[in-house]
Amino acid sequence: MNRLEFIFRRFFKRRDLDRELHDELASHIAMEVESRLQAGESAETARVGARKEFGNIGLVIEVTRSQWGFAWVEQVLQDTRYAVRSFARIPLFSAIVIVTLALGIGSSTTIFSLLDGILLRALPFPESNRLVMLWELPPDTHKPNVVNLKNFVAWKQRNHSFKSMAAYVTWPLNLLSDQGSEQVPGLAVTSDFFSTLGTAPLLGRTFRPGEYWQDEPNEVVLSFNVWQRLFGGRPNVIGKTISVHNSYHEIIGVMPRGFALPNSKAELYVPQAINLNDGRNYSVVARLRPGISPEAAKAEMATLASETARENVELDSGWSATVIPLLEQAVGAIRPIIVMLFVVVGLVLLLACANVANLLLMKASGRAREISVRMALGASRHRILRQLLIENLLLAICGGILGVALAALTVHLLKTSLPASLNIPRLNEVTLSIPVLVYSAAASILSAVFFGLAPALQSLRRNLTQDLRSSTRSVTGGRRIRSAFVVVELALALVLVSGAGLMVRSFLQLTNVNTGFHAENVLTAHMLLLPQDDQRHAQIVREMLDRVRNLPGVTAAGSIGILPMEGTNSGTYYYRADRPDPLPSERPGGDVSIITPGYFEAMRISIIRGRAFDDEDRAGHPLVAILNQSAARMLFGNEDAVGKRVKVQWTKNDEVTVVGVVADIRHGAVNSPPDPCIFMPNEQQPFPFASLVVRTTGDPALLEEAIRKQVKIVDPNQGIAKIELMRQMVSDSIARPRLEAQVLSVFGLLALGLASLGLYGLIAFSVAQRSREIGIRVALGASKETILRMILGDGLKLAVVGVFVGLVGFIGLTHFLRSLLFQVKPADPSTLISVTITLLLVSLLASLIPAQRATKSDPAAVLRDE
Amino acid sequence: MTEAKPYQNRIEILQGTLDLLILQTLARTTQHGHGISQAIRGRSRDVLSVETGSLYPALHRLQKKGWLDAEWKISENNQRAKYYSLTKAGRKQLVAEQSKWQLLVQAVSGVLDPA
Repeated sequence: MNRLEFIFRRFFKRRDLDRELHDELASHIAMEVESRLQAGESAETARVGARKEFGNIGLVIEVTRSQWGFAWVEQVLQDTRYAVRSFARIPLFSAIVIVTLALGIGSSTTIFSLLDGILLRALPFPESNRLVMLWELPPDTHKPNVVNLKNFVAWKQRNHSFKSMAAYVTWPLNLLSDQGSEQVPGLAVTSDFFSTLGTAPLLGRTFRPGEYWQDEPNEVVLSFNVWQRLFGGRPNVIGKTISVHNSYHEIIGVMPRGFALPNSKAELYVPQAINLNDGRNYSVVARLRPGISPEAAKAEMATLASETARENVELDSGWSATVIPLLEQAVGAIRPIIVMLFVVVGLVLLLACANVANLLLMKASGRAREISVRMALGASRHRILRQLLIENLLLAICGGILGVALAALTVHLLKTSLPASLNIPRLNEVTLSIPVLVYSAAASILSAVFFGLAPALQSLRRNLTQDLRSSTRSVTGGRRIRSAFVVVELALALVLVSGAGLMVRSFLQLTNVNTGFHAENVLTAHMLLLPQDDQRHAQIVREMLDRVRNLPGVTAAGSIGILPMEGTNSGTYYYRADRPDPLPSERPGGDVSIITPGYFEAMRISIIRGRAFDDEDRAGHPLVAILNQSAARMLFGNEDAVGKRVKVQWTKNDEVTVVGVVADIRHGAVNSPPDPCIFMPNEQQPFPFASLVVRTTGDPALLEEAIRKQVKIVDPNQGIAKIELMRQMVSDSIARPRLEAQVLSVFGLLALGLASLGLYGLIAFSVAQRSREIGIRVALGASKETILRMILGDGLKLAVVGVFVGLVGFIGLTHFLRSLLFQVKPADPSTLISVTITLLLVSLLASLIPAQRATKSDPAAVLRDE
Repeated sequence: MTEAKPYQNRIEILQGTLDLLILQTLARTTQHGHGISQAIRGRSRDVLSVETGSLYPALHRLQKKGWLDAEWKISENNQRAKYYSLTKAGRKQLVAEQSKWQLLVQAVSGVLDPA
């Protein structure tokens, strides 16, 4: 056996080595016996003599063994083995501790992976921290607004802050392939789009530099997805042509997997010419020059915008412009939610730790005698502390590993099963990355320190003689610190449950909102119409609707340019024609919706005054419009709007006659109040988008195939972007608040469960410890009710303190919630009161079980036990 | 207390010399623990006794340092025994320990018997 082998065996084959040492010493004794026999001793004398001469075998083994390895490794291994054995003896206790920790660490790892993948990690573009979005700011609202290309060109020519900038607009692009026609999300981009983002194509090239002022080249860049789906990932696609929007486009490049602007996923990229007469339709992405901060660029943009506002009064008066970093743009909206969830899981982890600390404190009381005995036998404090630390680390590591496994599962579920309607940006970039795992490891170790400190310190503060003399096996004490932990747990639970309660209430408010339209039994089919001349264009929509209205079960059908619940709408200015034109910066305005006859009927939007559009409202006939109540009030106050004339910028300031007023609806989203809106007929103001809105008597989903077929009959090349139930669209628009309410409820219940487990444990433990006192009380004539009241009182006292601390803490935290709540105040009294009552009831229940056990105690039995 | 008698004329082995004695014993032969202790006792004419509580830790320590090799063999009395032998490093160490011992003997003699 050489040295290496010896070292190897020392670590991995301890048992062999032990046996071998045993054999070696046994052979020594056997030889001694043999030589004594040869010297003439009797068998018995020889055996006894040999043993006596050898000395203490156990000691020899111990000392020899100590030569084998690094002593501390040995001791750590020994402590670990001891810890494993002692936890294996109490499997239920260990399982509760490990699962509690796993829940805490698992939930906090999951949320941290979201925080890391969505908020912290750089966007997947070269030097992505220099990428920003540029927006115009309207005079009234100062909410970032899409950009006019005239201003884009001015910025581009005059700025000193940006290395490059590009404008883009999202379109559903009509793609004609062997599989028929379909509409896929596409981006029409100016020439510098790809060079601004800095990502090189996987195959081929991107658009050539230099803007297109007249016609765009018929070129297209494919996303990785479309390349795989339509061309099976074959590299020879470059140079082939495909039909995009009824014209042939040459495929010049394929982008790598995962390339996409965070908020504008596109399957196809086509070039966009600079059309100076186009409205405010474009998003602008730009790359800062090295060394220029977003703030400096923002200041320059404000200056440039004030220049264009002076030069181009009609278009820009009162408008400004601003800069938002691309990462902020992508994740700004979701940041408060993730940060709130991170705080929540932090509290849950804290709660789990407090619970484990309490469990360990109880266990520590139970083993006080063990520790006292070990110390009396000469174990150093340092050694005992290490033993306790190793036990805690062992628990934390087991909890951590289970927690990370739990997080891996949860992250996988989140990525695969969350509905796309949630629109969570960068969800595909969320992984259990190295930083996340480092975080979990740190969380586990910190937890071990946190939950292990109090029990460890308490163990060392023991009074040896008193503990050893004490007749009971367990030792009281530390009740105050355990009570403090339970109070903290109850307070944390109150905070979390209140948060959950508010989110649920807020969500219920959202579901109860009257949107102003009737979404049941309505199917929508959204498409961008293929390029046609205006008359043919209006005719196609009319033909589609005529055919759809004749389908069985259809009671009404109409079309609108941009559907409610899409989150956006077109906007324009409109003002009274009977008064002098307001200054450009003071013109009132709002949404504009281009519709066909049948739309209000299909959506069941009530006509308040006048009439809906009919077939007479077509090209060549007097221009007409309908206002919603908000627009009517904005323009005409209490006057009757019907018959009045309005100038609309959308129609190049044509005058239109108001023929009706309809009820307000929530167009943008369930939680945004109605904006003023002007409706105009598609026949008079043709609009490239058409969304068929179809009401049926039966299940609207069954109509899908029939509608596709009718559209195809009218124009075989016309693809449909998506067919959706209106009810689903409404539900999707509140999917995020729903998820928030669900997630917080889960964490709230978890917190409540952990806290009541903590309280239950404390009361049960104290009942067990006071069994003698209770026995004496009963013997002296205390009634069961007195005992019950005493124990319940103990539990309730803690609960009241916990609730109070929790309420104070919660009110301090409410500003976190304000932005997430809908029509609910953060300090909503009814929620807080019902949460408080719930928590007190649960606490009462948690104390009731041990209290009842206490009343059943038989004084004779208890006193005999002593 | 009567058990102490047989040990009367034995002396405790000096701290640090046990290694030398073991290495020296194994210089020409391989031997097991019992044999080594017998040999030391025999060659010192019963003056030096090696406690098993010192011998075995020492053997295992020297093996860990790579100065000894060990192998299980059958003894002359037909028993399995663990036989130790010197390694190359062990031989070098023996030479070093010997010269250290010589130095010590000279130094101690010098102190006891100033010339």
